[in-house]
Amino acid sequence: MKLAADRILGLALIGLAAFAAAQAANLQIPFSYEPVGPKAFPIVLSVVLAALSLVLVFRPGENGHWPDKALALKLLAVLGVLLVYALLFTRLGFIVTTFFAVLALARLFEATWLKALIAAVLMSLGSFYLFTQGLGISLPGGYWLPDFT
Amino acid sequence: MFDFLIDGFGVALSPLNLGLAFLGAMLGTLFGALPGIGPINGIAILMPLAYTLGLPAESALILLAGVYTGAEYGGRMSSILLNVPGDAGAVMTTLDGHPLAKKGLAGPALGLSAVSSFVGATIAIIGLTLFAPLLAQVAVMFGPAEFFALMIFAFASMAVMMGKDPIKTAIGAVLGVMIAMVGVDSGTGVLRYTFGMAELYDGIDFVVMIIGLFAISEILLMLEHANRQDAGDEMPPLGRVMVSLKEVLYCKWTMLRCGLIGFIVGVLPGTGASVAGAVSYTTEKRLSDKEGTFGTGNMRGLAAPEAANNAAAAGSFVPMLTLGIPGSGTTAVLLGALMLYNITPGPMMFSERPEVAGGLIASLYIGNVVLLALNLPLAGLFAKVLTIPRWVLVPGIAILAFAGVYQLHSDLMAIYLMLIIGVFGYLLRKLGFSLAPVILGYVLGGLMEDNLRRALSISGGDVGILWQSGISLGLWIAAVLLLVLPWLLPKLLTRKSLDGA
Repeated sequence: MKLAADRILGLALIGLAAFAAAQAANLQIPFSYEPVGPKAFPIVLSVVLAALSLVLVFRPGENGHWPDKALALKLLAVLGVLLVYALLFTRLGFIVTTFFAVLALARLFEATWLKALIAAVLMSLGSFYLFTQGLGISLPGGYWLPDFT
Repeated sequence: MFDFLIDGFGVALSPLNLGLAFLGAMLGTLFGALPGIGPINGIAILMPLAYTLGLPAESALILLAGVYTGAEYGGRMSSILLNVPGDAGAVMTTLDGHPLAKKGLAGPALGLSAVSSFVGATIAIIGLTLFAPLLAQVAVMFGPAEFFALMIFAFASMAVMMGKDPIKTAIGAVLGVMIAMVGVDSGTGVLRYTFGMAELYDGIDFVVMIIGLFAISEILLMLEHANRQDAGDEMPPLGRVMVSLKEVLYCKWTMLRCGLIGFIVGVLPGTGASVAGAVSYTTEKRLSDKEGTFGTGNMRGLAAPEAANNAAAAGSFVPMLTLGIPGSGTTAVLLGALMLYNITPGPMMFSERPEVAGGLIASLYIGNVVLLALNLPLAGLFAKVLTIPRWVLVPGIAILAFAGVYQLHSDLMAIYLMLIIGVFGYLLRKLGFSLAPVILGYVLGGLMEDNLRRALSISGGDVGILWQSGISLGLWIAAVLLLVLPWLLPKLLTRKSLDGA
């Protein structure tokens, strides 16, 4: 059997279906007024999902175009930037984290350092004032740094 | 009978709503023109803003519907100029639109597509005005069993019409429904799939889900497109931007036909602009392509999908407003936006919240005129949007996504969840899934379970109630036919031709 992406996906989904069904079956129901209850629907869905996934395992589609190594690294880098952005979002505040996030993302999308810097300054300050002053949205000011807003 | 429309114009013509319709049309055209940001992304990004600005429900809906219809206009820009569809609805527009641009007729092509978009949308909005109240009257008779059958029908029509792989469409829909089950079960108060995390008790937030699934996964996909150097990225000169009356008249029947087709496809639950574009293009090719010039820059080949995809956008409001069943992925998002306001669209909306239903329909008329007025003279300006580099676009999407999700509950957990859903969405798209079924499943899942359980509570557990009434039985039969016919019909036809031979 050829190892296609769809096969792996199908097996993973069958696993997910089994997990979801097991979770649903283990629900403790205190008291129920109705005949169906919260278990039946998830279990039926899990069965449907498993059945559809079986079709996928036996009749996989074409193996899609997957990123090569360099691109995969870049993808991870973008995800990493977004994760660090999230981690520091409240600690360092919106302006500082957004500055670095825009800088890093612009560089990853092939801007020159100068362009990336300009974009980072303009976008972090511009969006902060647009959101807070223009739209009245509260954004984190950061508590690792002195408050300068 | 059309009181709701008169009231609606009263709502839509208030200065705030008029301004919002204009803003929505403008932003929508921009979002549609930007490659990668379609109507769903545009709405996902604006929805949290509209909500926090404290806009009333009808105003928020007018803004978001303006974005939706505007994006269908804007989607044609990159299709025609760069041969890259701006969103799923504009895929067929590339077939004749780009060859026209290569012939030096980019300007007239943009003008013609704006006019056919206008004609298609107008037909569909008139259809919406006529049919929605009628359908609402029928829908009042719907009980839980009928609604359950209707959702089965919606999923069936989606599996058949959407995408090339019905199995993956179905899996996507099931996954969407399963995501909707996370949280407190409304019937019993039991926690399902929360894994002890308090943040999940209320279920996965709608905004988090949409922004993660569409905006974050789009960022990841854009990285890939940035690396692949497409040939022919040069923007052709626009030439004269106005389209001549002769060219419009040459396409008049095409526009009318395809507007009608688009409207009908749009009304069918579960199918949207992309299906309408494909169906109308192939129909029109069969009807009027005598010289075999479709695909080489035929004006009719451009007018057909453009009229149809705009008509479908307006048509998909019919099931959403009357039945609460979205007609497309984008209306599913709009439905979710209404639910944020504790409004469940459905048959009662025309009588209970006429200002929302009527205001929306009236604003569609206004928005459509605004869009034509914006798009004819300003096509050149909008085309400039295409030259925005990705290194500006991507950080911009990231900022809007983070700020939009953070301000919901000032909660970091929501942002992590958004990123996880984004990766999930990226993987699904790489595996050849379309995201519209996932979002439809997610929006309809809760309603589906509620209606099923309510129906069975009424009957005391007897499943017979699900197909007892004429309406529900008809829907079940229609759903089964939809699933079986595409598979059965070719076999019957080949047998017949064999018999004939």
